Amino acid sequence: MIRILIADDEAPAREKLERWLAAQTGMTVVGAVADGMSAAESIERLRPDAAFLDIRMPVLSGLEVAAQLEPSTAPSIVFVTAFDEHALKAFELNAVDYLLKPYDQPRFERTVQRLRERLPLPQSGAAAVAAGRSQTPDCKRLLVPDRERLQLIDTASIEWLEADGNYVHVHTATRSYLLRRSLQDLLAQLGEQRFVRIHRSTAASLDCIESLSPLFKGDYEVHLRNGRTLRLSRRYRDAVFARMGG
Amino acid sequence: MIVLWVIFWLLMVCVALQEALRNPSIRWWEPVLWEGSSALVATAWMAIAIKARKRHAMYLGRPLAWFGRHLAWLPLVILSFIAAIYAMRYGIYAALDRTYQHDSWRFVLAYETVKITLFAGLWLGLLFGMDSHEQWRTQRLHLLQTRKALAEAQLSQLRGQLRPHFLFNALNTVSALMHADVARADHLVATLGDLLRSSLRPPASETIPLEEELRTLKLYAEVMRERFRDRVTIDWQIDESLHDMPVPALLLQPLLENAFRHGVERTAAAVHIQVHARCRDEALEIVVHNSGSTLDPACRDGTGCHNCRKRLDILYGGKASLQLHDEGDGVAARVTLPLGARQS
Repeated sequence: MIRILIADDEAPAREKLERWLAAQTGMTVVGAVADGMSAAESIERLRPDAAFLDIRMPVLSGLEVAAQLEPSTAPSIVFVTAFDEHALKAFELNAVDYLLKPYDQPRFERTVQRLRERLPLPQSGAAAVAAGRSQTPDCKRLLVPDRERLQLIDTASIEWLEADGNYVHVHTATRSYLLRRSLQDLLAQLGEQRFVRIHRSTAASLDCIESLSPLFKGDYEVHLRNGRTLRLSRRYRDAVFARMGG
Repeated sequence: MIVLWVIFWLLMVCVALQEALRNPSIRWWEPVLWEGSSALVATAWMAIAIKARKRHAMYLGRPLAWFGRHLAWLPLVILSFIAAIYAMRYGIYAALDRTYQHDSWRFVLAYETVKITLFAGLWLGLLFGMDSHEQWRTQRLHLLQTRKALAEAQLSQLRGQLRPHFLFNALNTVSALMHADVARADHLVATLGDLLRSSLRPPASETIPLEEELRTLKLYAEVMRERFRDRVTIDWQIDESLHDMPVPALLLQPLLENAFRHGVERTAAAVHIQVHARCRDEALEIVVHNSGSTLDPACRDGTGCHNCRKRLDILYGGKASLQLHDEGDGVAARVTLPLGARQS
């Protein structure tokens, strides 16, 4: 059974999708939500196989929702939109499926067909995540879990990141959040202009680094403005020096 | 006008001087004094006429009334003119120990009357021509501005309706309803058709009755309410005695569009929209209020509002206003129009 999530801020649009998806064999709608935050939360909680995301939604757009997902575990995504010239180009480049409103039954069937073909493939959602990120390149907000809910934090408030198995600890001045993401993917999402990798399992915000002091064997200690000391391994030393302007 | 006036009097002095040069019994300064004194008094009266032109501007459309009103002053002008210039001439001659000789007073009165009437006719004619031209130009400019503002409003309304997000989402709503409720889908298509038709038809005039403006507004509201039917409620409170009040055509839709764009489409929560029209403090007040949002400062002076304000200014010259502000649990757009006042 293919489990599907629907997100659209207009009730008639949700109902149309629900009705047509329910009529498909082997497909079930596990949720229908009206905004981007609820969509991200439902993806996290319900782990659907596929999601139909409207692009223009309150708080967080469909593209922003996709951009926040871990590519390896993201559901297959079909973007649904009335009009979005730039995004459509990105979808075509990434071979991401989309539905243009209003769509008819044959067009919808084609999308369903493609979904059925794609779903067994690994990382079937990766392309949509890439398309989402390319359309929202300036990542200013990060979606983080906060108890049972998700919340958006300002990426400028992040001081450093610490990998921990399949998870990443995101440290801000006031508290830490635990995300089920790889450090590499999170850095890719946040954009590497502001963050620099200093160790296999650590990255720090350039703005938060106060000074470096040498240790033995070419390793360094990184002193953050908040008083914390991190280890800079020699593997990343040259890159860090280059980024910090020599 | 001033240049013409100066040239005119210089010419008069020159003509008089020329005559004096041929006549050895006249000193050179005498004609200068004669014409100079005339010029001085005439300038004073001309200045009064120019100062008072605003008061007479409303008669420009009726030349007889305009000239009548000016010429009524002529007897006073003639008498004061003669009294003043002869007083000046006597005074200056006396100061130079000479006597001023002139024709009999009866002749002087007749001669000056004819002269002044001719001159007054000439200069009033010029003044009339210039003022009429000025008035015609202002009126034409105002008319052009009014037409341009209306055309812009129509274009922006049409653009709003053809905005892909509005049009395609509305069509998608029809497509969704079609499978659930055919009659309702049918009604929505008809509403959408009426709305597009009303946007394509140029407004018959600058202002239309409030009732008519609200009819178009309700078509738009109905389409939007169908799209967001699970979370938008709209409440209309229109004072029925105001139905025939003239309001600028296409003024209200941008305000309701804003309420949806900034109030509804940015939140998943339920939103209540109120449209009020009432008479308050001798003015017609129309308010579009949406709950659940705060005013975006960028929107307070956005192009939509800017165009609305510009248009109100052209139509009512500062007597009307559009204000956006936080009110209660949301944002209100408040239009105030002078009640009963004809547009300027």
